Amino acid sequence: MKKLLGLMLCLVALPALAIDGQQILAKVDRNLEPESYEAYRKLIDIQPDGARKEYVLYTMKKGRDKVVALFLSPASDKGRATLRLAENMWLYMPDVGRPIRVTSLQSVTGSIFNNADILRIDYTAEYDVETAEEQKDALVLSLKAKTGEVAYDRLKMRVDRQLLLPVTIEAYAASGLLIKTLRFKDIKDFGGGIRRPATIETDSPLQKGYKSVMLWSGLKKAGFSDEVFTLNYLPRIQELRK
Amino acid sequence: MKLAGRPRRLWPLVLLAFPAGVQAAEEFSFDASAFERKAFEIGGHVQLKQENLAFDRGAAFYRLNNFDQPQRDGLDRTTGTLQLAGKLRQGIGTFDFRTNSDFQRDQLARDRSNGVFEAAYAIRPDPGLSMEAGKRVLRWGKGYAWNPIGFVERPKDPNDPELAREGLAMADGDLIFNPGGNLQTVAFTPVLLPVGKDVNGDFGASGHWNPAAKLYLLYRDTDIDFAWQGKGSRPARFGVDFSRNLASNFEIHGEWARVRQFTRPVTDGAGSVTIEAGNADSYLLGLRYLTASDTTYIAEVYHNGTGYSEEEARRFYELADTALTQFEQTGSTVLLQRALSLSQGSYGRPNAGRDYLYFRAQQKDALGIVYFQAALTAMMNRQDRSYQLTPELLYTGVRNLDLRLRLFLLHGGSSTDFGEKASSRKLELYARYYF
Repeated sequence: MKKLLGLMLCLVALPALAIDGQQILAKVDRNLEPESYEAYRKLIDIQPDGARKEYVLYTMKKGRDKVVALFLSPASDKGRATLRLAENMWLYMPDVGRPIRVTSLQSVTGSIFNNADILRIDYTAEYDVETAEEQKDALVLSLKAKTGEVAYDRLKMRVDRQLLLPVTIEAYAASGLLIKTLRFKDIKDFGGGIRRPATIETDSPLQKGYKSVMLWSGLKKAGFSDEVFTLNYLPRIQELRK
Repeated sequence: MKLAGRPRRLWPLVLLAFPAGVQAAEEFSFDASAFERKAFEIGGHVQLKQENLAFDRGAAFYRLNNFDQPQRDGLDRTTGTLQLAGKLRQGIGTFDFRTNSDFQRDQLARDRSNGVFEAAYAIRPDPGLSMEAGKRVLRWGKGYAWNPIGFVERPKDPNDPELAREGLAMADGDLIFNPGGNLQTVAFTPVLLPVGKDVNGDFGASGHWNPAAKLYLLYRDTDIDFAWQGKGSRPARFGVDFSRNLASNFEIHGEWARVRQFTRPVTDGAGSVTIEAGNADSYLLGLRYLTASDTTYIAEVYHNGTGYSEEEARRFYELADTALTQFEQTGSTVLLQRALSLSQGSYGRPNAGRDYLYFRAQQKDALGIVYFQAALTAMMNRQDRSYQLTPELLYTGVRNLDLRLRLFLLHGGSSTDFGEKASSRKLELYARYYF
């Protein structure tokens, strides 16, 4: 009787064991954005007193780990551009006139979104899936950074089972400290088969009362030459915009 | 009547409530179509700067600059600046410019200047190829405060490394490749920088084309530049730099440059000036480190091969003292003119010494205030141990407005680099508005 019960339990557990976390993460990556795309994003930083600061960025991505973002607004930041090639990141400021290396934990805007969030590359490029747990309405993936250079050591990603899109992501430091929580909202059809959350909100226990929001617009598939994702091209990246 | 009066009284409330209602409805809305690229763009900033300088009346540079002026303990200076930057696009070509206009006023003088920092026409037939001609700022090197391989640019102000500077008239290009593998990027930048009677006159001797080039490699996640400038208006020079992240919050960089047969005037205490020639090697090593609490540390060690040793500088200060004493006692300006000429040349450069240390610590969101940054910068002449401390506060919380307050405190004994500067203290406050 005990053996039979054990067998039945195993059969019940089989679907959960069959979950391929890495495959789900790859699907999440592609459902969020095409591998190569262009998009406009607005970042809104909201202070505890309700005061806001907004930035608008034009973003291009190619492959799994090449991203560039150009600031279009406000005037004080216009022309600034950030480039990411895997774990290498640079910031170009028109006044300074040359790109300087920056780190993924810094924030070029001063918001809760840091450089790693603004210049996010594919999750599969940075993380391995340690565990994949099936829950009633969601899949929960526990991700571990592939190297020590990744901004967050661990991610806990709650994924919508039907849409295979993230609902929340908790980002942890190597010490186990929760750095921030990202909430994906407002699923929107961008056309071209792209349907994803148009709003990402984040808050951090380290910055209580503050909130940052990222809004997506004009997301579409696009092809770019590799030469665009180089330091020499950064000062003229705005010439690529249509 | 009372009923009729009420709506009228409510009008201001309605007017106030209406935009608030619109704002609430527009919360988190974003339409990218408002940000399409335009054929012509213009922007810039306007800045008002107030400075208070406390002079060191016993310092060599104060005495040399003011030997025939009424002596002062300080000066208040107001500077207004307007910078305009624009772009005009047509086909594969782009014309861009940046102008700078200054108006300066203090208790002694008024001054006004208008200039073009950059104005160049560029064509980009392919992402991997671009060519341009005009006045351009090319900044080479990885150092934060100094750039030994900054061969084709005007000198950087280590007190304001991020300040926009005037460019040089040149023709240059960019050829970019992505070979793949460990060699992720290769970029070649050839430059031709003519110097004539009316072009780039302050670069060096006229009548030369001054070829220069830089080869950039991104190899195994390390930035590497090889830079070269041929003999012409200035002696030939070449150098190399690198930059690399050792961790996600830790970057190191370095530069090395050799100027071949560099000549410099060297004086003795009596004013006998000899021209010394020889290879001058300059180098720099630096790091940038970000802590978990958002404090950034920048440190650099710099050896200036074209600079003056502590002993050479001491002889110059001795000459200045002798010349001023002679002028006061006899009225003779012969020696004084020699000392003045040297002070306005290589002895009077912002960092004319041989060895320096630079350290900066900056705290983001200082005192828990968002967009408020506090920083402390220290610069020291390693040989004579004189130094400058600069506490700084910066607030960028108001849209398009930067407010910065800095205090420069210079310390050093007699015959030292920072001890002989004209001012021993400077308070600076500026408001910069971008549009």
